[in-house]
Amino acid sequence: MYTCTGCALLCEDIEVIVENNRIKETRNTCRHGAARMKGCMNRLVPSIAQKPADIESSIRKAAELLRNAKSPMLFGLDNSTCEAQAKGIQLARKMNAIIDDTSSFCQGLLIEKILREKLRTCSLDDIRNRADVLVYWGSDAQDSQPRHLSRFSYFPRGESRQRGYEEDRLAIAIDVRESNTAKICKGHFYRIPPKGDREFILALIEALSGKPPAYDTKNMLGLASILKKAEFGAIFVGIGLTYSIKNDFEILTALADMLPRFNIMPMVGHYNMRGFNEALFKETGFANRVQFEGNAVQDNKYSIIEALKTKSIDAIVIVGSDPVLSLPRSIIPHLASIPVICVNPCQTFTSRISTVNIPCAASGVESAGSAVRMDGKVIGLKKIIENNYMTDEDIIKRLMEAV
Amino acid sequence: MGIDIGKFLKNPEFEILITTYRDIFQVEALERDRFGEEYKKLSAVISMSKNDMQKMVLKSGDHVKVSNNYGSVVVEVKESKRNEPGGLAFMVNSPWSNALISDETDGKGIPEFKYIKARISLSNEEITPVTNFIGAFHK
Repeated sequence: MYTCTGCALLCEDIEVIVENNRIKETRNTCRHGAARMKGCMNRLVPSIAQKPADIESSIRKAAELLRNAKSPMLFGLDNSTCEAQAKGIQLARKMNAIIDDTSSFCQGLLIEKILREKLRTCSLDDIRNRADVLVYWGSDAQDSQPRHLSRFSYFPRGESRQRGYEEDRLAIAIDVRESNTAKICKGHFYRIPPKGDREFILALIEALSGKPPAYDTKNMLGLASILKKAEFGAIFVGIGLTYSIKNDFEILTALADMLPRFNIMPMVGHYNMRGFNEALFKETGFANRVQFEGNAVQDNKYSIIEALKTKSIDAIVIVGSDPVLSLPRSIIPHLASIPVICVNPCQTFTSRISTVNIPCAASGVESAGSAVRMDGKVIGLKKIIENNYMTDEDIIKRLMEAV
Repeated sequence: MGIDIGKFLKNPEFEILITTYRDIFQVEALERDRFGEEYKKLSAVISMSKNDMQKMVLKSGDHVKVSNNYGSVVVEVKESKRNEPGGLAFMVNSPWSNALISDETDGKGIPEFKYIKARISLSNEEITPVTNFIGAFHK
């Protein structure tokens, strides 16, 4: 059995059929996981200034660019093993660099609240065994973490939930769109207007307090009644909710205080984003957006978005991420104007504008290690295919020796 | 021979609010080949309720230009198969939707990926190619 790196569920029950040293077929994966494990069509090749180079020259050039930088940044590492992440944090510290990852515009600050124990949480195994009321809020797990409902939340039998979804569990979706997850939550889909989450939470708090809510009174009282009766509840917080409340988790804390039998679970996309957050938190006390210079300091200005907008960085190492694809295009010109070092198994939009490209092994397929599931459980990754690629951990180690 | 006045008339523009979402088929295509036709086909799409499309005199398969102060893309419009009340359009998260996103974040570092105000109009241009998102930045 192998572990899938398609998302932060890190499904550990994967079987593969290998032919000609490539994964030909996978079993038990979702559509995303199968595609991830089979690998991309366009492997990255080492290059300098978009011209083919050997890997040693690429690493030397990358180190030279980093030595010459006054304000370097390390970005990414969410698709890397915990071992590579630890090395990446060491590299950032050695360079007095800014370090950030995609959690900066995803679930990082929510995970930091959980690591600070400001929000009650539990494991996915607790949910499978005990949960009776499940709230998918701004989260379409069916498309983003496709085996969430079948492995952990709605469909499985659990220790105290032997009758599964037919009798023992109730799933609720709160969303701006009738997502595939919302379709499963038949009769319990609450559609809200864009940015309507805050108003919805406030009304729900009123309803839970026994006051008539100002907003959608009948539905809100019905929802409050279901939540109050829950024996063990979970709120799966998707980025729909996170973006809508703009990381103001006080309001979520206020709701959680009204629901003492509920736990908060961040719905994480990249397979080891939580691992990055936990490793940086352990090292610095912060989950992301950190500048090393003597003491580690966290500030919004050290987020990838603000660092690029304010043109405060003059070189960047990007590991396992594709910001040219995933960031607003209005921010890309500054990224394109500084030296970019791209470490990735595959060609990406970012690799096409990078100064130096360094290919690495695909973790969980071509290299082993460990990763942290969305609920904080550490899961092992095995190597499936023999190959000659360096791991991203080794590449970071080499950069560290050379800067 | 008369002059075809129609070709000089600008197609009517409508204000729309767009939110983004994830689609597993598009993510699968991304993993396989982010430069490929399948990823483009599943990404360069905007979907709307039947009523909204009727109001804007658009039909599924039309090309539309979606623009705002931050960018402009040509994508295919499709009628949503879901029960949508209208007033909100949907794009899967991709470089095509990211082209329309403001860099204003109030200093918080989180762009409005799920709240995009834009204008939409019928277009006879080709779907914005993937190279447009990279070409300008080649080193």
